[in-house]
Amino acid sequence: MVKPQLQTRKLNLWFGKNHVLHDVDLSVYSQKVTAMIGPSGCGKSTLLRCFNRMNDLIPETRITGDVLLGDEDIYKNGSDVSRIRAAVGMVFQKPNPFPKSIFNNVAYGLQIQGKIRRSELEERVEQSLKAAWLWEEVKDRLNQSAMSLSGGQQQRLCIARALANRPKVLLLDEPTSALDPQSTAKVEELCLELKKSVTILIVTHNVAQAGRISDYTAFMYLGDLVEFDKTEKMFTVPADKRTEAYLTGVFG
Amino acid sequence: MKVRNVIIILAILLIGVSAFAKTNKVVCSGSTTVLPIAQATAEAFMDKNPNVNISIRGGGSGVGIAALQNGTVHIANSSRPMKTKEMNQCRAKGIAPTAYAVALDGIAILTHKSNPVSNLTVKQLKAIYTGAIKNWKDLGGPNLPIVVISRDVASGTFEVFNEKALGGAKVISSALLLASNNAVVTSVADTPGAIGYAGLGYLGDGVKTVSVNNIVPSKATVQNDTYPLSRKLYMYTNGKAKGAVGSYIAFIQSPAGQKIVENEGFVALK
Amino acid sequence: MKTLKEKLFQYITYLAALFTILCMLAIIFGIFREGLPLFRVVSLKQFIFTNNWYPTHAEPAFGALALIVGSLAVTLGALLIAVPLGLGSAIFISEIAGSKLREAIKPIIELLAGIPSVVYGLFGMAFLAPLVRQWFNLDTGLNVFSASIILGVMIVPIISSLSEDALSSVPSNIREASMALGATRSETIFRAVVPAARNGILCSVLLGFGRAVGETMVVLMVAGGAANIPTSIFEPTRPITSTIAAEMGETVVGDLHYQSLFALAILLFLITLATNLIAELVFSNRRR
Repeated sequence: MVKPQLQTRKLNLWFGKNHVLHDVDLSVYSQKVTAMIGPSGCGKSTLLRCFNRMNDLIPETRITGDVLLGDEDIYKNGSDVSRIRAAVGMVFQKPNPFPKSIFNNVAYGLQIQGKIRRSELEERVEQSLKAAWLWEEVKDRLNQSAMSLSGGQQQRLCIARALANRPKVLLLDEPTSALDPQSTAKVEELCLELKKSVTILIVTHNVAQAGRISDYTAFMYLGDLVEFDKTEKMFTVPADKRTEAYLTGVFG
Repeated sequence: MKVRNVIIILAILLIGVSAFAKTNKVVCSGSTTVLPIAQATAEAFMDKNPNVNISIRGGGSGVGIAALQNGTVHIANSSRPMKTKEMNQCRAKGIAPTAYAVALDGIAILTHKSNPVSNLTVKQLKAIYTGAIKNWKDLGGPNLPIVVISRDVASGTFEVFNEKALGGAKVISSALLLASNNAVVTSVADTPGAIGYAGLGYLGDGVKTVSVNNIVPSKATVQNDTYPLSRKLYMYTNGKAKGAVGSYIAFIQSPAGQKIVENEGFVALK
Repeated sequence: MKTLKEKLFQYITYLAALFTILCMLAIIFGIFREGLPLFRVVSLKQFIFTNNWYPTHAEPAFGALALIVGSLAVTLGALLIAVPLGLGSAIFISEIAGSKLREAIKPIIELLAGIPSVVYGLFGMAFLAPLVRQWFNLDTGLNVFSASIILGVMIVPIISSLSEDALSSVPSNIREASMALGATRSETIFRAVVPAARNGILCSVLLGFGRAVGETMVVLMVAGGAANIPTSIFEPTRPITSTIAAEMGETVVGDLHYQSLFALAILLFLITLATNLIAELVFSNRRR
């Protein structure tokens, strides 16, 4: 049995009195793309945000159970949230570059981590932009505002920005829902390339997208993890009736 | 910008309207120093003569005289005699200003309570206010820099002080120029090294009054004109004061009016 | 019938707007008409660059340099106090305080803006100036320092509320992006949110400047009024506004002194016009 890169055990989450996640046990394997699908409000984005503790920012959030990054319980008392977030990169639904230059966007995470030599910084920025397939398009205008890029470029910039921290895991929260089909295809291809070096967990509304890029799929419904399996298997012979109904488009 | 003109127009309208009304309207404006005297005496006068309505505005001596020139007021209150230039302007407009002294005022020199210096000569005052003497030790006081406090250059009090004490010399530019008698008294009371001046009517407990040329400012020394920094306060009318205007001014000059003048902190004419 | 009503309404609003513009033009026309004749007698260079203000002397002098420097000195002093205070409270209200605390603090800070300036002036003259004199062992507490403090507190609400608007309008996904990269809350505020709100904050500072440079009552009461170029923050000074206010009451319409005060008004008008234009420019830049 391969050891999972990310794992939850009996994870429960409440927003105030609202019980959002119920006893979730999920494993995310390294060098794979794992997709989370399910109808709106099923808790998949909330679950995603447990892996870098972004739910901490919402007041009155309560969590029980464990979330493991490798061997580390990231909700353990005294754990360094900043370090965890740097090790678990995240890309959001809407491209959200800072209103800064392209260079400074990618350099942001590194500069936060502490002092870094200019030459090293430049090297890491270049590497990250290359890894996000953006380097060729922006190498001559690194000092221009990130806002001048197209939507698809902005999203790849956000990916480059997350990669600059050299994370172990990349969390993608519906990263293509605001993009046109061409930009979407490019991001999907990029995921397949990136999974060689980083574990990818992607939330998507688009079942076809999950089928195209993921190795594993988790289907969530009303806060329960209904089914988790290899994508091929789930898409051909779903074990649960709800999964089947969702995949065939009966609801959602 | 044209506020003055608006005021003037309003004043003309008021005068115009008053011509039709039964009451006699008297309009006066000018020196803020004379203002409390004018107000207090006007109230007493109107109590006795309900058919007369006196309206009083401040604005400063220059403003009052300008209003008299323009024929918009019956009385211009002034804390100084009219300047030759102003006289000429009046004549050019066919106005014959007539001066009525209504009260006397002494300008007291003030220092902080803790200051031992008790007398200054006019010459020393001039040296202080022009910056030739900068420390109290040169005047027999403690080693303490002098903080020169003056009134704004446009005020009537400044004009009289400038003329009587400084002979028209320029006040040193580092002097604090304050906008009212009260501001001067308050600041002198708070500032150990300060010297300032204010009308006798404004003195409070917080400050010390020094004598000038060894003459203490008092009712007697102002009335017999021995105190060097004293002045007459005037009301100017166009020609001889007649009617309601004449009886109002006569009332101020009467013993009853002069009593009110003293209640307001000024010095009676006699 | 309805269209008539509509039209009437449109005309009324049109007239209201027109009237406002007319007022503005009348003010500009007025101050220029009354002030410009001064420059037939006094050269512009002399007026702005010489330090010699004796408008009522037998040989009057109209060198306003000390007044200009005085205005700038108290205004810059006020900004030094108001920018950290205003920006600090804006950051607290927008980024740190919970919604309950925010609802409590905001109106209190805005209340500062509602206090009449003469009350600020009285406070400065009666309480602050004596304290300043004692603390620093000065000859007088009526000086640039005291005036800057009072003016600074006065413009805190402007800087605070406009900066807070700018900070609040930074999209929350910028904050998320920064936090997700491992930034702490304070790193997020200072490296992501404040830079993103930079133009709005700059705008608030410029408007604060405009307000401070035009404020009259406070400087008249607290700055000391010496027409002297201050060589330290503990010396008294005489800003443009207090000169106009103190001297206008007793000038004679149309004489040189009167004109010189309008010339000062022109100067003040041009300074505030310039700051407003720059603020407008910065603001439209932000929109783009």
